[in-house]
This record gives sequence, structure tokens and C-alpha cells, in this order.
Amino acid sequence: MKLSILSTVLLGLGLTVAGHAADEPVTLTVLSSTIVEGPEGKAEQGYADAFMEQHPNVTIEFIGVPANELYAKTNALAISGEMPDVFLNSPEFMAQADDLGIVADMQEVLGADYFDGFAKGPLAQSVVDGEYQFAPWFTIPNTLLYRRDVFEQAGVEPPTDWSEFRKVARELTVDTDGDGQTDRWGFALVGTNNGSGAGRFFLVLRAHGAEELAADGDAWTTGFGTPEAQAAFQLYADVVADGSVPPGPLQTGYGEAVSLIASDKAAMMITGPHTIGAVLDQNPDMAGKLAGALLPTVEGVEPDINLGMFGWAIAADSDQKELAAEYVRFVLERDNQVAWNLATGRLPTRLDALQDPQIARPELAGFIEAAEYGYQVPTARFYPDLFSVAGDNYQAVIIGRKSAAEAAEDAAAQTGRLIDNNR
Amino acid sequence: MSDASPPLPPPARKRSPAAAARSRTGFAFVSPAMLVMALLVVYPLAYGIYISLFRTNLLNRWDFVGLTFFVQSLSDPGFLRSLFITALYAILVVGGHLIVGVALAVVLATQIRMRLLFRAILILPWLFPEVVVALIFRWIFDPIFGLLNHLLRSVGLISTQVAWLDDPTWAFVAVVGAAIWKGYPLVMLLALAGLQSIPRDRYEAAALDGAGRFGQFRYVSLPGLAPILGVAVILEFVWWFKHFTIVWLMTKGGPVDATNVVSIDIYRTAFQSFDFGRASAMAVIVLFICIAFAIAYRRMVPDEQA
Repeated sequence: MKLSILSTVLLGLGLTVAGHAADEPVTLTVLSSTIVEGPEGKAEQGYADAFMEQHPNVTIEFIGVPANELYAKTNALAISGEMPDVFLNSPEFMAQADDLGIVADMQEVLGADYFDGFAKGPLAQSVVDGEYQFAPWFTIPNTLLYRRDVFEQAGVEPPTDWSEFRKVARELTVDTDGDGQTDRWGFALVGTNNGSGAGRFFLVLRAHGAEELAADGDAWTTGFGTPEAQAAFQLYADVVADGSVPPGPLQTGYGEAVSLIASDKAAMMITGPHTIGAVLDQNPDMAGKLAGALLPTVEGVEPDINLGMFGWAIAADSDQKELAAEYVRFVLERDNQVAWNLATGRLPTRLDALQDPQIARPELAGFIEAAEYGYQVPTARFYPDLFSVAGDNYQAVIIGRKSAAEAAEDAAAQTGRLIDNNR
Repeated sequence: MSDASPPLPPPARKRSPAAAARSRTGFAFVSPAMLVMALLVVYPLAYGIYISLFRTNLLNRWDFVGLTFFVQSLSDPGFLRSLFITALYAILVVGGHLIVGVALAVVLATQIRMRLLFRAILILPWLFPEVVVALIFRWIFDPIFGLLNHLLRSVGLISTQVAWLDDPTWAFVAVVGAAIWKGYPLVMLLALAGLQSIPRDRYEAAALDGAGRFGQFRYVSLPGLAPILGVAVILEFVWWFKHFTIVWLMTKGGPVDATNVVSIDIYRTAFQSFDFGRASAMAVIVLFICIAFAIAYRRMVPDEQA
């Protein structure tokens, strides 16, 4: 009893030291891209509501922003001195965030021991110069999502190499209602010129054996100029020319591709397990019809899988770091991680949650396997620039403005200039 | 050696205390407006120009680079191409606004039935937010679910689903079309007001001289509208030269760079590459282009017309 009273007093003192009394109304601002997505937003709001119920004096105020605009928004908020207390960070952006000096010392805020509770793969990707940049929240290993029922009907297996992939995509491109018009395509190609499109292209590039950016000692090099990169660009041109891709691939972003899968208009897509949740949100009849498989590769190349990770960072200039840390710990609690996974398909990062039997359900098996091939996203500050380098060039190849060789050469030259400008 | 002494400077005119007081009062009256102008116009412009001289993330890195970004931008084929695309886009959109706006104004100025209803309907595009307009047009041009393909297929003009926004030429036409649809009501309203201010006796005189409807439009309406249309051209050109929303939401500047207007280029440089100095230099160049256009237009068009 005495211990309990002492703990309460200490907690009260701690909160007071953190800048506010325990019952003083406090607003915690949280910048999130998942809050504007479905079904993620509902689940995330649920955590916030539960936290506010436990802390009646706390109001959690979300700043919602689409995923493709998240980094621009973070940057704009940082410049204007309006950083929220908590914000989503990722391996793609953390070098830039670190350069801006907007991330608090996460080890100090959350406690060094706290980081022992994360899976090694995600944790390794949250570090810049030995400093943790965020507490990993979820991973969405981007690999091949496919319609299990459609594959079974067609008597085909998930492809393991790219020529097989093209063949399967062609076979699954069909006229389902017999009106003479194709109404289901084999592969929903995300061809927009943004992070969604380029991130997927990087996976295809790596599955051909080339890397968009690689560390070479203290310097950076690019594999865009290689024959392997040419083959990756050529694949995009080929699947479109095959007619295996729904019309308008350059306008097909992640959201459009999800809608194509949900409306039974596409059979495959490169994406993570979260897409299962997004598809079911649009069309519950798809339950049990989706599964993941390893991304095809060329012979001799192992898949490189982008973990598609996001995590929570606490702003360096937040005057409520203690409360922010408490919120982050709350969201990352085992039960919340499992509930998040069940609602959205996104894989947990905490070791205790990963051991929950509900995580290993059949539709996620392919994604969990893919997570073993996760690669370290290059921590170059200019990494987001590569999105438009790739996007400009694969779009040019798809519409026939450039050959694959020209695109690869141009992408290599543009990346080279970025490397030179950022030495 | 000359002994002629140099001429004495004229004695300084001394203002009377009353004149000085009037001057101070004048400054006092205009100072609030000047302060607001300085805060809202001069400071942001000056700060933008200042930023363009640095390689900066606007927080903790300020490396002075002088005019490097201006030189690099003006010698960058990609930036020059985006300027060309922007100029073409602005010219076509403003031209479209003038043609559609004036044509509809002429119709609405006549005594047609349900004139008020038509006026209310035709002004609707102006009332829609640009985001809504862009999303409506994006849906119209959608290859699978879009209205355009559905209509064209139903009348047998196409047999496959055409991805309009994936084609560089059609994508450009589409964004120009959407911008014309969105913006013509402003010109229509200005032209309608202008037409209504032209005295009827001029039309009667033209009719007596044998001018038909086209002749009356050519020799009475157009000269009467010239001052209004002159102002509209400057305002519209500058507005659409800087336009961002509709193009960004419809095509993101693509496919490849087919609709990559300069505002998208600047946005990407600032908020995707986080290269704020370079983006500011590009923005300053656009500012000077707009100023140059306004000056050139004012010089080309006589004062009584513009």
C-alpha cells in the first residue's frame, strides 16, 4: 500500500516536472497518415479514445495527411515551428528528419531497455548514426498480393520468376462476363510518379538484381545504369504491352489499385498485408480470397523486400515528451498491436505481439515469410528524390517515349547528379 | 588662374511648418496601409528572394550560394521545358476563357428566355472549389469507370477503354479543358457587365450603317469590351501561369513531364527534394516573368484600351 502511494506521488511529481499537473487539461498533437485511411483510421482513433479514457485530462488531436504527402507535411510543420508532439517517421524519411533536428532522443525519452522489446529487423532500420529515430509501429512487407480463388480457378500457382509472372498475368486477364470486353486484368500496376509507384518499382528493380542506391564505403552508388535495371524497366513496358494491366497504369496509385482488387478487376498487386484490410473495408466478400507470396525474382537473385515500416517519433521541441512517450508505449502495447494487426493486416513490431498466434493466420503467411528478406533502406538524405527519378523514367518507358536502355541510362545519370550534389 | 568664383548652389527650399505638418499627416494616414503592404507583400517577396541565395532546409542549414540556383535553373532543360509548358497552358486557358466567356456573355446579353436561370447555371463552375473540379474531371477521364469512355463506347466511337490521362497530348488537353471549364465564368461576368454598359444607340447606329450581328459584335461590342478584356487578360494570365491545384490533382504533372507546369516543378523541388533555395530561385524567376508580361502587355496595348 505504501509502495502504491509512493508510486502515485512519484508519478504525479513526474508529470508535474514534465510541464503540467496531472489533472491540467493537455492536448497532445499527433501527425499521422494512417488516421485518414480505412480501416486504419478507425482503429487508430480507437487507441486514442482508449488513451484519453485512461487520461481524462488529455486530448489527442490528430493531424491527418495522406501517406504520399506525409514527408512534405512534416517538413512544412518543422519549418513553421509547428511540429506536433508525436509524428510518423520511416526509414525513407528518417535521414531527412535527423538532418532537420526534429527528432527527440528516443532512447532517453522511451528508455534504452524499451528498444530491447522490438524485433531486430525493424529496429535495425530505425537507426541513423547509431541513434534511434523512431519506435517501430508496424511493418507491411511489400511483396506479391494475389487472388487465391482466381489462381485456383485458373489452375496456376504464384509466379516465382518474371517470365512466369508475365505468363500468369496474361492468363488471368479475362472477360468474366462474356461481353467481349476484358474486365479483369492480371496485374494492377501502380505506375504513378510518387512514393507509392516508385517504392514498388524499387522492389522490381531489386528483384532483377539492381539497387537504386547502395552504400559504397562513405559514398553512394546506383545500379540504375545496369542491364538488370534495364530489364526491370522493360518488364513494366512488357506487362502493359501484354494488355495484362488495367487501362491507365500511370494514373493508378495505391488507392486505385486497391479499388481494382476490391472490385474484382485485378488479380495481382505488389503491396503489403495492409491491403487485405483495405480491400475488405471496400468489399467484405473478398474475405479469405487474398493471400501473399514471395515476389518473383530473376534466377540467382533473392528477393529484397521493403518492410514498408512506419514508427512513432517524438518531436525534439515537444514540451510534453513524457506524455508523448506514454502514448507511444500505449499504442505499442501487446494487445493494441494484435488488435491493430487484426483490423488492418499490418504486422506488429513488438516481440510479445509477434508471438501471438493470431498474427500467423494463413492469409498473412506469405507476408510474414517475405519479412525475412527485408532490406535496409538507404539512409541518404536525398533518398526521396529517387522517387521522381524512377517515376519519370518508368512512365516514359510505359508510354514509349524512352527505351528501357535510355530510361536506365537517364535514371543513372540523374541519380549520379543527386549523389554529387549531396556529397 | 581664373579669379572667377564658382556659382553658388541654389538656396535649399525651406518648407513651411504648415507644409511639413501636412506631409507628416499624409504619412500618418498612409502608414497603416504601407505597414500592411510591407508585412503581407514586401516581406514575403523579399524573404523569398533572400532564401533563393542559400542552400537551406530553412531550419539549421544556411549555406550561401549567391546566384548559383538562378544560373542552374535557367540552364536546366527540365526547368525551361516546364516554363514552356506553363506558358502554353496559360495561353490556351486564357484564350479559352476569352472565347467561351465572351461568347456566353453575348448570348446572355440578349433577351433570351430564362436568362436568369442560364446565368445562374453558367456561373456554377466558378463556385466549385478547384479540388472538386479536378476530381470531377479525373473521374470523367477515368479509363474504366469514366463518363467519357462510357459515352464514346455507347455511340461506337471507341471500342476499347482509352486511358486519356496516360497519353501526353490528351492529358495536356484534359487539364486545359478542366481549367477552361473552371475559369470561364469570371470572364463571362466581366464581359456581360461590359456589354451591358455599351450604349444601345451605338448598335442602332451600326445597324443603320448596314452592320449585321457579326458586324455589330466586331465593330461595337469588341471595342467596347477591350478595356475590360485587357485587364482580364493580365489577371488571368498571371493567375493561370502560377496555377497548381487542378493539374496536380489530375495528372501530378505527368505522364512523365507532359503537364509539368512550373508550379509543380517548384512544389516538387521544395517539398519532395526539400531544396528550398533552388525552389525559391525558380519562384523568383516566375515572378519576374509575370511582371515582364504585365509590363509588356501594358506597353503593347494603348492606355485607353487597357
